[in-house]
Amino acid sequence: MSVWSHILREVGFRKLNALFSLLGLAMAVTVVVASQLLAEADERETRRVTRDMGFNLRLIPAETDLGQFYRDGFSRHAMDVSMLDRLATQLTNNVSFNHLVGSLRREYTINGQDILLVGLSETYVAPGQGKKPMGFVIEKGTIHIGSQVALVQKKKKDDTMHVGVRQFTVANDPIETGTPDDITIFVRLEDAQSVLGLAAKINEIEAIDCLCLTADQDPLAILRKEIGGILPEVQVVQQRTLADARAKQRQTREKVNQFVLPSVLVAGAVWVALLAVFNVRDRRQEIGILRALGKGGGRIAALFLGKAVLLGLVAALIGAALGTWAVLEFGPSLFPVTKKAIQANWPLAAQLIVATPVFAALASFIPAMLAVSHDPAETLRED
Amino acid sequence: MIRCDEVTKIFRKNGSKITSLDRFTAEVAEGEFVAVRGPSGSGKTTLLLTLGGMQRPSDGSVQLAGRDLYALSPAERARLRSSEIGFVFQMFHLVPYLDLLGNVLLACPGKPSAEVRQRAGGLMDELGLADRASHRPGELSAGERQRLAVARALLNRPKLILADEPTGNLDPENAAEVIRHLAEFHRGGGTVVLVTHGAAADAHADRTLRLEQGRLVAN
Repeated sequence: MSVWSHILREVGFRKLNALFSLLGLAMAVTVVVASQLLAEADERETRRVTRDMGFNLRLIPAETDLGQFYRDGFSRHAMDVSMLDRLATQLTNNVSFNHLVGSLRREYTINGQDILLVGLSETYVAPGQGKKPMGFVIEKGTIHIGSQVALVQKKKKDDTMHVGVRQFTVANDPIETGTPDDITIFVRLEDAQSVLGLAAKINEIEAIDCLCLTADQDPLAILRKEIGGILPEVQVVQQRTLADARAKQRQTREKVNQFVLPSVLVAGAVWVALLAVFNVRDRRQEIGILRALGKGGGRIAALFLGKAVLLGLVAALIGAALGTWAVLEFGPSLFPVTKKAIQANWPLAAQLIVATPVFAALASFIPAMLAVSHDPAETLRED
Repeated sequence: MIRCDEVTKIFRKNGSKITSLDRFTAEVAEGEFVAVRGPSGSGKTTLLLTLGGMQRPSDGSVQLAGRDLYALSPAERARLRSSEIGFVFQMFHLVPYLDLLGNVLLACPGKPSAEVRQRAGGLMDELGLADRASHRPGELSAGERQRLAVARALLNRPKLILADEPTGNLDPENAAEVIRHLAEFHRGGGTVVLVTHGAAADAHADRTLRLEQGRLVAN
């Protein structure tokens, strides 16, 4: 009789032992799959939240007086727009910044109202990082206006409005934000340059740092070094509150993962090992008679390790399917914004289908060795 | 066939020493039917397991067909057991999840050939189990279980059968049946060492060894 046939018959006979082993392993695989898929969703959610929080890096001309910058909210110095292009060409997945937007900001007066005029370039992102811009896209011939601007100028969406000599269409429904955006008119960069008479100029490049830097790595120093190597003409200002919030969010998630995965693995291993020990105890007489019939230690070890491999394989298939289904079914309620991005991870499932039988065999190794080293005479004498 | 020289087996339990076999010396010739008798705890089962290469003696040597059993490696001893020795135990020691045919074929080293399967079927037929081949041991009576254990012991055409009180759990009718099969094996030239309390084997045994406190007191 082949080892596999022998194992299958034993599994069929001691159904509860096999079922509990299977449940424990399948549960562990389910948790691993679910936590990994949720971690991926969480990563995407963090990116989205970060994006919504806005840029946290501001690159301004090196000669800018920070006192003036913080007081006015923009630099009174300007730099050439080609600097944005220079930085954009260096965007790769190996740098610690992304989502570059060049802007030109100045105070402006329109019909007696002091406002902030902000011209925004298109968004530059690293290859393969998606095209979704951080803020809104300003279509040609349109502007976005703040709520106070709308109130004073008596404008609403689709109204026309003059900025300088040119006429634009209001593209947004102005809502109060409680920020300087309420007194801002956003236009395309070239329109701002034209209105302000600052052709080919910007006074800021906004960016966002990557999710790869943790607080203990002194991200600002790394960013200054990287950006300073490309654009020595700028100084880098980081909005630490936003950066720290991101770092904290990321570290919290990592801590959860660091706790959940090892706990599940240890609990799964202990569970499988205990059931294997019970199985060995149940089968002491069988081991004794197999020895008496001349079966070697290899055959006996194969019966226990083979059973673990078989159960591990079935558990991996069940757990991978169950974990994926659970996350696809219930994940969107946890991450409603990114629900479309919650996806099955088939490479992970394939890895688990290979790894779980190995894991189960390792967990059963000590019980299998107990079976092999068990003195058969001891049980055969227990008549 | 078997030669034991000064075989001693000492068990240590909770710091105390228990001498199960005490300088046991005896020979069993090929084709002999030997009964081993003695009170409980006299070392009969220990002797049988030692003769079968299942339990290394603390001292002395056991020779089986001219080979020092415990000078062999565990793998060599296992091969020897598989090819030359058949065991029958009082508690049957059947594998509960295999059907009757599976239990008999378990004795076969490696994958059973068609010839081995045919032999297993023939043995089951001889032992009155042919119509129960697909049943499991749990569905059999005690007598049927022991006959199944005998069939398993005979599958590899062993030279020696070591039987440890095989009739201990059987009624007289079934006990006689089992002894009859062992006697048939003996008549075919096989060697039998039978540990027994009962009288069923008396008519067949060539000789009786009597053990008391691990010592051979009568031969």
